Amino acid sequence: MVDLLIGIFLATLITALFTTRLYRLLMWYSLNSLSLGLLALLLGRSQHDGAMVASGVITLLLKAGAIPWILKRLSQRFALERRIVPNIRIQYAIMLVPAILVFTFYLAEPISHMVSGNANDVAISISSLFLALLLMMEHRNIAPKIVGFLAMENALFLLGTTATGGMPMLVELGIFFDLLMAIVVINLLLRREEVRR
Amino acid sequence: MMIALLSLPALAMFVASFLHTPRARRFLPLSSVAILIPVAMLFFHPKPWRLWGDYLVADDLDSYVLLVASVVGIGVTLALLTLGRHVEIGEAAYRRFYRFFALFWIGLIVSILANHMGIYWIGLEMATLSTVYMIKTHHSAAAHREAWNYMIVGAIAISLVLFGIILIYASAKPVLGEKAMLFDALLAQAHAIPSPFLFEMGFALATMGMFVKMGFFPMNLWLANIERASYYPVAALFSGILESAVILGFFRFSTVARAVNEPHLVGFVFVYTLLTIFVVAFLIYRAKDFMRLFSLSGIEHMALIALFWVGGGTFAALLHFGAHAFLKPALFLSTGVLESRGRYHIAGALRGYRGFRGRLFVFLVGLFLLAIVSLPPSPMFFSELYGFGAMVDAAESSHHLLAMIGATLLLLILLSVIFYRFVAIYQSMRYEGEAEERPVYAAELAALALFAAGLLLLITPTAMEFLRRIV
Repeated sequence: MVDLLIGIFLATLITALFTTRLYRLLMWYSLNSLSLGLLALLLGRSQHDGAMVASGVITLLLKAGAIPWILKRLSQRFALERRIVPNIRIQYAIMLVPAILVFTFYLAEPISHMVSGNANDVAISISSLFLALLLMMEHRNIAPKIVGFLAMENALFLLGTTATGGMPMLVELGIFFDLLMAIVVINLLLRREEVRR
Repeated sequence: MMIALLSLPALAMFVASFLHTPRARRFLPLSSVAILIPVAMLFFHPKPWRLWGDYLVADDLDSYVLLVASVVGIGVTLALLTLGRHVEIGEAAYRRFYRFFALFWIGLIVSILANHMGIYWIGLEMATLSTVYMIKTHHSAAAHREAWNYMIVGAIAISLVLFGIILIYASAKPVLGEKAMLFDALLAQAHAIPSPFLFEMGFALATMGMFVKMGFFPMNLWLANIERASYYPVAALFSGILESAVILGFFRFSTVARAVNEPHLVGFVFVYTLLTIFVVAFLIYRAKDFMRLFSLSGIEHMALIALFWVGGGTFAALLHFGAHAFLKPALFLSTGVLESRGRYHIAGALRGYRGFRGRLFVFLVGLFLLAIVSLPPSPMFFSELYGFGAMVDAAESSHHLLAMIGATLLLLILLSVIFYRFVAIYQSMRYEGEAEERPVYAAELAALALFAAGLLLLITPTAMEFLRRIV
């Protein structure tokens, strides 16, 4: 089940890279967060780790539900461009994504025996980080860049879960708080953009 | 209790920023002065002082950084009093600037006092996010673009730091459990970390994130562009406070890395900082406006501080850090006056200032410009002397004396390029071009005088003795 959820996590992120519509991108982000939240819940339950279960619940509520909804509302309110065409052509992106995956598995190989969790999961977390970076880089529009930033945060959460068996609860809460603050700042920046227009 | 005292001025500033009365506007700068009381109390208490369990611990190093940052904060709020006379800024934007400044302050206090890698990161992220909106206070297309750029590049940099923290935590968790997040526990058990390679990878990633935030190679121009596009107090806050918190993080991480594998740490930081200074020296040589010039010079100095710190010159690094934290905001605030109402030319920029205020302003700007290129008796002159001396001393015992002498010579050549450029600019400002009368206000002069007093205090024997004792 853990492998399936991590697989869904990676698959949703890869699909997000090829998406050309904003709402679809938000849906992929929501599914990405959903798989992450379920993974944290599953691992937390199996390890009897209450903090990880709480993180999973917050992830489901905040990242799979609230944030995509808020971003959709913001995009409607500020009339953001819904057609988001990546700068990298699809034929190149199709080659780039497996290259990133192979490269990160190669990169993570020396540390595979040093982490407590499954080495493949760590490699997938690192590749997700690079894919999220790619998502930020391949778009000119603001909205996909924001989603890329949020996906990068998801990848780090996955790395924390797989490589360390979960970060301390205090840190998780702090990261959630910062995420909310990021949304507030994004809202303000978009508002200014509207004023400018 | 102490945490409440430290955060109270920022909280008061946050609340006052919502009030629409003129009195509130006068209260805003006062609130920044109030932080000096709890900061002074930190110095008189035995260390380490556990303010919040193992999470927030005050020691001599963070008390010093907090004091320097507080003085810079006071200077910037003084200069903010006259911001509206130099640039177009509405009342609402002014209050919103203060609102985010207060959040920025809280983030930085948390980050500076953190003994916990995760809390350090949370504080830094909070400060980064609040700065985004401070950049946007300026209603221009460039500021708008740069605010988004800062949001994106800042997010990448801060994510790299978190990535590094996770790997460091993973490397030490088998022996330390959740205490693997604490800097002091990591330092005490550095020799027992079961996967030093994993730790070093984490350290390298976290350091790269911090270096990107400070504008090191290969991201040399992103910070300069942002500082150019935003109002000048933002640049002063970046260089005097935000970078202080970032470099303090580097001090903490590298102290642990030194205990894990010193040769790897020295090699990594030396290559990175030398490359940065190499690129920055030529960018400074070609810089054509004050903001970019001072911003690039800030990168050079932060690289020197990192170099001295890992090269064994911890005292030199701390002295250089203090001097830079006072000098760079002073220069950015002076730039605001020099570029008042959009007018600015390097040639003759320091001509046309009349009366006592004008003459004092010219004197102070000249002092700061020459101090930043380490002319004696600038604290930077002493820090560079001690820093390079410490690097050569360290190399003598490590069988890398020739490489170190080569690196030092290369650095001196690069620093002389920067020195030449700054002196040429000063001469052009002072002796060329047309004289044009421009206003200087008491508040900004008070800020500059405060920074000058800070610089003088740094070279007193008591301050130097304190800095030697820190590490």
